[in-house]
Amino acid sequence: MAIHTVLVIEDDRFIGEMYVRSLSKSGYEVDWMVDGNDGLVAARNKAYDLIILDIMLPERRGNEILDALRNDTEDLIPNSKVLIMTNFEQDDESRMAMQYRADGYLIKAEITPRKLLEIIAELDAVSAK
Amino acid sequence: MAIDKSLKNQYPVRNYWRHFMHRVLFGVLIAAIFGLSISYLFLGLLPVQSILLSISVTTIIITACVFGVLLLMMRPIHLIMRAITMRSGEPTVQTPPNPNVSSLISGNLKPVLDTIYGSSPMTPAVGFSATQAVTTATPALSLLEHALEQTSCGIIALNAERKVIAHNVHAPIKEGADKQPEIELEFINMESLDEWLDSLSNTAVHAEKTWQRVSNKLAGEEGRRMFDIIATYERGSQTETVIACYERTLQYMPEEDDLDFIAFAAHELRGPITVIRGYLDVLGMELEDSLDDDQRELLKRLVVSSNRLSGYINNILNASRFDRRHLKVHLKEETIEKIYDTISDDMTMRATAQNRILSVKFDHNLPTIAADKGSIGEVLGNLIDNAIKYSNEGGIISVYAEIEGDFLKVSVADRGIGMPSNVIENLFKKFYRSHRSRETVAGTGIGLYICKAFIESHGGFISVRSQEGVGSIFSFTLPIYSTVKQQLLEGDNLTLIRQQHGWIKNHSSFRG
Repeated sequence: MAIHTVLVIEDDRFIGEMYVRSLSKSGYEVDWMVDGNDGLVAARNKAYDLIILDIMLPERRGNEILDALRNDTEDLIPNSKVLIMTNFEQDDESRMAMQYRADGYLIKAEITPRKLLEIIAELDAVSAK
Repeated sequence: MAIDKSLKNQYPVRNYWRHFMHRVLFGVLIAAIFGLSISYLFLGLLPVQSILLSISVTTIIITACVFGVLLLMMRPIHLIMRAITMRSGEPTVQTPPNPNVSSLISGNLKPVLDTIYGSSPMTPAVGFSATQAVTTATPALSLLEHALEQTSCGIIALNAERKVIAHNVHAPIKEGADKQPEIELEFINMESLDEWLDSLSNTAVHAEKTWQRVSNKLAGEEGRRMFDIIATYERGSQTETVIACYERTLQYMPEEDDLDFIAFAAHELRGPITVIRGYLDVLGMELEDSLDDDQRELLKRLVVSSNRLSGYINNILNASRFDRRHLKVHLKEETIEKIYDTISDDMTMRATAQNRILSVKFDHNLPTIAADKGSIGEVLGNLIDNAIKYSNEGGIISVYAEIEGDFLKVSVADRGIGMPSNVIENLFKKFYRSHRSRETVAGTGIGLYICKAFIESHGGFISVRSQEGVGSIFSFTLPIYSTVKQQLLEGDNLTLIRQQHGWIKNHSSFRG
């Protein structure tokens, strides 16, 4: 299934707008949530093709959101891809746990919007196979 | 009990000859009885008529026995001569006898050899203070012990099994698992004491090595101290390795603390740098058709500078992680070409923006390598960035790779200002910047340190050849995938790493 709808959960206004702007211009349908609670509600209410998830978020952190959506007993977002995008330095264990449940774990400072678009295209290509 | 035993063996060297003579006389007696018995049996069993033949047979048997006794007598002399040869310093292919071998201990030769080797005739207990309690030390020795307790220099003595057998109070020592004292030193990004001792085994009789900037604990841990260290190795000596640790905490720690702070700050810089690089990228995309060449050049300079800034921030964060042993590499089958592809656009832009010609040529037939894409990308980026920094406008920077045994050797060559040899030996040390580069070119002294850390975590080596005014060639080696495939498939990433720490850096597959 091709990626079309994207949920961005990101509390930094500049960074959030940057993703929304470049993704929208490339034809994706983008929703943007700035806190963890709203992000989790949005992800539960609508089946997005891709969720871009920050870790350091107000109200509810990214790892808690991912745990709530996808854990050992259930997967509420079976048709969604998840990209963790963070500048936060996690310890190895938490990082591995998130990586295991996500489709990518990226350092925001190293991913420009153009690179993000390439990565989404790669995810698309992988799911198309 | 220990004191009784020590009194019994109070003069082991002086008494050695008497014990030895007793043993020899006993040996001669046994040999004579044995020889005569055999002769008697031999002559009795065989119908030998000739007296001449009887005498001949008896003589042969007794001669053989005497020869056996002679050999028994000669052995200690041979061992003592080998030990004396070692002490004389003359070149020899013979290995000096190890006094700690059980046969020598039971034969009482150990104290004699210890005396020749110049080590103390008494076995020191753990810690000098403990030594005082069980031995009647001479005044000279107790003065020395007093001095050793007073000096801020840590002294540690190891035996042939590399166990700590003596140390003073200032030595960096911790209690091991079995409550035995252990050396507490972290040899990060340098040859460790154990590796050095491994390299000496069976080859050297006497050796010495110095280390700088060795800490007892990892960055960020409580009670961290830093030392310059001199280790002296003397094969066969009771204290085979002696380590002197000169405390340099006050000199080195400010820089370490600075790095800690900068790493903390660098982490905070990641937010703004994300925004700067991101919006430059957005502007680049959106203004692609409307900018004139001049404006395009300005935008390119902004992009190049923000990318370089991002690279420096990564170096600082990586160095800080590395010192805390948090830096890990995850080795996969890669090609050097693909790794370069991840930084190719950035490097080309950097080179053209600063008027350098970047020539990258990788043969398509090169074998695949076991590498962490993100880390090696950063190494290449650092080396090319340095080549740009230390060369002149219009200069050519060549990047190429060739096979060298089980490794792929990747080189970055520039025709820049080059370096004198005294700079080269320090180049990969943390915070090192040559006198000249301090004045003329910006740098943190972190880039090459982290390159070395990354390459050695892959089991490779990094090196440089340089000539002042001619240029420099930085090369690093990476294991060819097929040579390490088995270890990797067995999931044993750690065996590739020559150092004892298993750094596995878990870069995301999309990092680059």
